[in-house]
Amino acid sequence: MRSIVIAPRNVFCISVEAENISPDRFAPLKIEEIKKLIVWQGNRQKILSDLFTVDGEDSPSKAEDMAIRLSGDFSNVKRIGEGMTSGAIEVQGSAGMHAGNHMSGGILSIAGNADDWLAREMLGGRVVVMGDAGNYVGAGYRGEKCGMRGGEIEVRGNAGAYLGEHLCGGSIRVGGNAGDFPGAANQGGTIFIGGSTYLPGAEMSKGTINVRGETKVLPSFQKMEIAQIDGTDYQKYLGDLLENGKGELFVGVAVP
Amino acid sequence: MIIRGGIVYDPSNGIFGEEMDLFIDRGKMVEEARGEEIDASGLLVMPGGVDAHAHIAGKKVNTGRIMRPDDSRLGTEPRNGVCRPSTGYTVPNCYAMGYRYARMGYTTAFEAATPILEARHTHEELQEIPIIDKGALTLFGNNWQVMECVRDKDLSKLAAYVAWGLRSARGYGVKIVNPGGGESWGFGTNVKSVNDPVPNFDVTPAEIIRGLAQANELLHLPHSIHLHFNNLGKPGNYTTAIETLDLLKDIKPSRMRQVVHVAHMQFSAYGGTGWRDFESKAPVIADYFNSHNHATMDMGQLLFGSATTMTADAPLEYGNARLTHNKWSNHDIELEESSGVVPMIYSRKMLVNAVQWAVGLELALLVDDPWKVLMTTDHPNGSPFVNYPEVVTLLMSKPKRDAEMASMHEQLQKRTGLGEIQRELDWADIAIMTRAAPARILGLPDKGHLGPGADADITIYNLKPEELDTSQDHSLVKKAISTAMYTIKGGVVVSKDGKILCTPPGRAFWVDAAVPQADTDRLMPDLQEKFAKYYSIQLSNYAVQDAYLPHANVIRAGLSIEPLQEVA
Amino acid sequence: MSEATIIKDAICSFCGCLCDDIIVEVEGGKVQRARHACPLGSSKIMGHGRIESPMIRKDGELVESSFQEAYDRSAQILLQANKPLMYGWASTSCEAAEKGILLAEEVGAVIDSTATVCHGPSVIGIEEKGLPGATLGQVKNRADTIIFWGCNPAEAHPRHFRRYSSNSIGRFTPQGREGRKIIVVDVRATRTSRNADKFVRIDPGCDYEVISALRMLVAGKGDILPERVGGVLKADLAELAAMLKAARFGALFFGLGLTHSRGRYKNIDNALSLVAELNQHTKFVVLPMRGHYNVGGIGQTLAWSSGYPMSVDFTRGMPYFNPGETAACDLLARKDTDAALIIAADAASNFPRATAEALANIPVIQIDPYENPTTLLSDVVIPCAIAGVEVEGTAYRMDGLALRLRKMVDSSLPSDEEILMGILQSVRKQRQMMANEGA
Ligand code: SF4
Ligand SMILES: [Zn+2]
Repeated sequence: MRSIVIAPRNVFCISVEAENISPDRFAPLKIEEIKKLIVWQGNRQKILSDLFTVDGEDSPSKAEDMAIRLSGDFSNVKRIGEGMTSGAIEVQGSAGMHAGNHMSGGILSIAGNADDWLAREMLGGRVVVMGDAGNYVGAGYRGEKCGMRGGEIEVRGNAGAYLGEHLCGGSIRVGGNAGDFPGAANQGGTIFIGGSTYLPGAEMSKGTINVRGETKVLPSFQKMEIAQIDGTDYQKYLGDLLENGKGELFVGVAVP
Repeated sequence: MIIRGGIVYDPSNGIFGEEMDLFIDRGKMVEEARGEEIDASGLLVMPGGVDAHAHIAGKKVNTGRIMRPDDSRLGTEPRNGVCRPSTGYTVPNCYAMGYRYARMGYTTAFEAATPILEARHTHEELQEIPIIDKGALTLFGNNWQVMECVRDKDLSKLAAYVAWGLRSARGYGVKIVNPGGGESWGFGTNVKSVNDPVPNFDVTPAEIIRGLAQANELLHLPHSIHLHFNNLGKPGNYTTAIETLDLLKDIKPSRMRQVVHVAHMQFSAYGGTGWRDFESKAPVIADYFNSHNHATMDMGQLLFGSATTMTADAPLEYGNARLTHNKWSNHDIELEESSGVVPMIYSRKMLVNAVQWAVGLELALLVDDPWKVLMTTDHPNGSPFVNYPEVVTLLMSKPKRDAEMASMHEQLQKRTGLGEIQRELDWADIAIMTRAAPARILGLPDKGHLGPGADADITIYNLKPEELDTSQDHSLVKKAISTAMYTIKGGVVVSKDGKILCTPPGRAFWVDAAVPQADTDRLMPDLQEKFAKYYSIQLSNYAVQDAYLPHANVIRAGLSIEPLQEVA
Repeated sequence: MSEATIIKDAICSFCGCLCDDIIVEVEGGKVQRARHACPLGSSKIMGHGRIESPMIRKDGELVESSFQEAYDRSAQILLQANKPLMYGWASTSCEAAEKGILLAEEVGAVIDSTATVCHGPSVIGIEEKGLPGATLGQVKNRADTIIFWGCNPAEAHPRHFRRYSSNSIGRFTPQGREGRKIIVVDVRATRTSRNADKFVRIDPGCDYEVISALRMLVAGKGDILPERVGGVLKADLAELAAMLKAARFGALFFGLGLTHSRGRYKNIDNALSLVAELNQHTKFVVLPMRGHYNVGGIGQTLAWSSGYPMSVDFTRGMPYFNPGETAACDLLARKDTDAALIIAADAASNFPRATAEALANIPVIQIDPYENPTTLLSDVVIPCAIAGVEVEGTAYRMDGLALRLRKMVDSSLPSDEEILMGILQSVRKQRQMMANEGA
């Protein structure tokens, strides 16, 4: 394992875009070359070392042997790990928007919170957030038919609205609550929400959504039998009947 | 400027691959000139490309952009040098259109469908497209005034209206899309054949088409009617195509050109009773074109991948949206038209799409006379225009076609005859289909050729026609014609090896046709009534103001003047 | 000299109706009357409290300056910023928007319109489903069934009924209001609902479910619906669905009540699907009720220039679009902008207070004919001639129809276009100077 530590030099008032912070980009480079990778702050093009300190082993390695540690506040740093195919990124604090965009492999772990569009259009790999995640976890880009197509996302805390919008595959697990409209237009992915949510599965045509807590269910879902999953009772629904009605929604039956 | 030693293809002037020097002075081709020299020794030189049918400006195109950020994010290039930013693949922004045409060696492109009411918008966008010269065809086929004149068999009033409409729209020619169907769509229905009466108007599509063709010839317009058939896109529609073409056989052209130009013929050359037995009827259509001289066509070639369908044929788009479960925009234009936009992905694994792909190629290969067939993709309906080099190489290389077909549905061989066609087009054919013929068909005497007096729009490709085997080396050909070595527009090098060097504004062509005042006087009360009662705006706010055509090029035509100089 | 001139068929540049039948009487260089205009329109055309001179804030006070000084200071602010925001554009011409887009490209700014606080969700809905629409004249000539959902044209678009919708008379609608069914869906009774044949009051925030229920009914799957959805009885919804299907030509107009209630763009997305599905039974179109007269035009102009209709981020040289991230309210709420140019809109009043407060902490340039709350927190204030009254230009009606605004009276003030070009020239000059100094 080649480990590299990146830390911000100061607090960023204007957000930073740093899609170059990725095992794939770092792997073939020496530290001095890594420092020269491009980052943007607003309309100012900079190099990584203008904004961050970079330390670690100097000799290039394979991406899968890369471990990047982001130490300090990255909550205003966007696009961390974009397109990564392997290796690991460990964010010790919070991560800005679009962390893990398009990632197809490797592990992205975030100790704090993740901002909106976590793992947008993810293809594979694993993302773990210990805190909360914002809106559009695993969702697609505007106007696109597919969001996440594969891989796993786990959010231990709460997630925002539009969780897994246009999900085409993969799985998302949220420990706490999710905002409005999780799994909208789900076309084959799996969502588990430990807490409560609101109007899950709008226009879903395939896949599964499992809500352990309370939720309002759309009138276009058909109530089915009670199902047992992992020893817990769930009310099963089929929907969205506005599509073909082949999606499955399970809502936890509250124990009175 | 002098271009030395190129291998020149200038079909309009009977030049087919001759080594010669070209001279440019003040934006025009001349016999002798001095100045900067470009060494084109042994390289392929042609007039600048002319696209006679593409959807490049106006409400439909912008609707495509607005509903497709997923497309706009493709092909993004930052602001750079003289270039504004580029976005989009099937629905590029205005700047990208100009740069991409220029890089490919094209210098002229015509927007194929604009309702008069929304022509202002079209010109706003045309104006923003840099470099290329342009124009816009005006939609007449579902217009209330047109249908009423046709119903009343008042040809001179109809001609007066067409002239007035072109002037109001600053339009170039008469476009007819699914005549009568657009009006029917106002209440959610469609016409099913050329003889199916249009609800509430007591006319048939056949009468509308004939009426407009006659008016077109009465007005001596540079271009013929430009027709998108009824039943376009439907299995078995080749009979509608033949029936419609037969309607126009006896009409005499007022100029040396066709009586009708058929838009994107590929979409109207289908057999079968449904999608299951869907098959090519390209040979029947090609036979018709080979045995008749009143019609020309553009291919409307379909290529696999992403497209955005957009047409004034609104019921067709609704059908597309239901079939593909895709997003659907529709736009009805009061008293005039309807239209729709639906994104599309064509797949080589889908038999229907594969047949459509084959039909376009069959048409171009089976029609003997290249002057009758233009190379287009009906951008962005069949594919975006940046893929023209793919179409050209398919036409030039049988091995390429065979290789492509090998990866497609095995049923394809049964549904089309493409596999048996041996013909491979040569550079003369291509120069005709992409330059000389579109200019002649549109009636642009200064475009598409390199004789003295022509616009100095020239493409130099980094390709030696005398050394390259276009059949075998198709990938080299495709690469070379995708990015012109030099594109010269109006005597100025605008693009070199893909780099845009400067971005002059292109000119906008429109046709001002004169008609007897008496006819206009008879027409105006009709229009005044329509604006007072039915339009949602005032007559005085209707016509496109000159402010929207800062670089206008007016072509005069009409009843009261002598026919213009014939196109060679 | 002061003889009255009459301008016929003038265009009212106030709301998205863009009425083009106004008769304006001008005398002594001033508009004396604007016949046919509604009170909203006529008060705009007749004019009120104008900013008279450019001003620059010095030691906390706005002090009068020359235009050139104001341009230079504006250029300096924009050049110093890492992420300038250029917001507004709803009440000026497309020609001004074009210059603004060029300026945004050159300084690397984010450009956004007031759509972000009104029909932004509609745009996102359209990106999901497309927009099956029509020009307003199509509605006038054909519609026998009209729904107003979450909008109140009786107050916001006073001439809409008569010119384009419920009370208009056209070729296939000779009886006007008599021959039409008017349906209003809203969370409360309004002046618009008083004009309705059927008023469906729904619970706040339940639009999405109600639309889903209607879609179920239209598709003939009503049997599984619960007895009540969103506070509306199933029987009532069934009646409504039947009315929609029975239409010969239906039109759905929607407003901020749908775009800004819980569900936001999902509501629009669902409404667009409802309309698409109704077309399997009859003819139906849908139109957003755009508020400011040219909020549609900035969207069109941005789309053909950049590929996207709003919230376009040029900071990295290439257009990037992602409302939720690049919209003006997102940037302000996250304090992710360090200078703002506000043009033809009152940002201080448009945004929620906390968001607007972010403006107070960054340099602000205002270009506007009128003084408004944004003026108070601006560092440079540049008065302009009023587009559509004092300057010609293009505007797009709520249905996307482009019209040419007329000039009615002269102004000694520069147009928005001229001001933006003045700033752009100053930007280029200052850049050149910086480059020379660097060299
Ligand atoms: S309805 Fe709107 S556009 Fe018409 S006059 Fe009133 S404010 Fe002006
Ligand atoms: Zn076309």
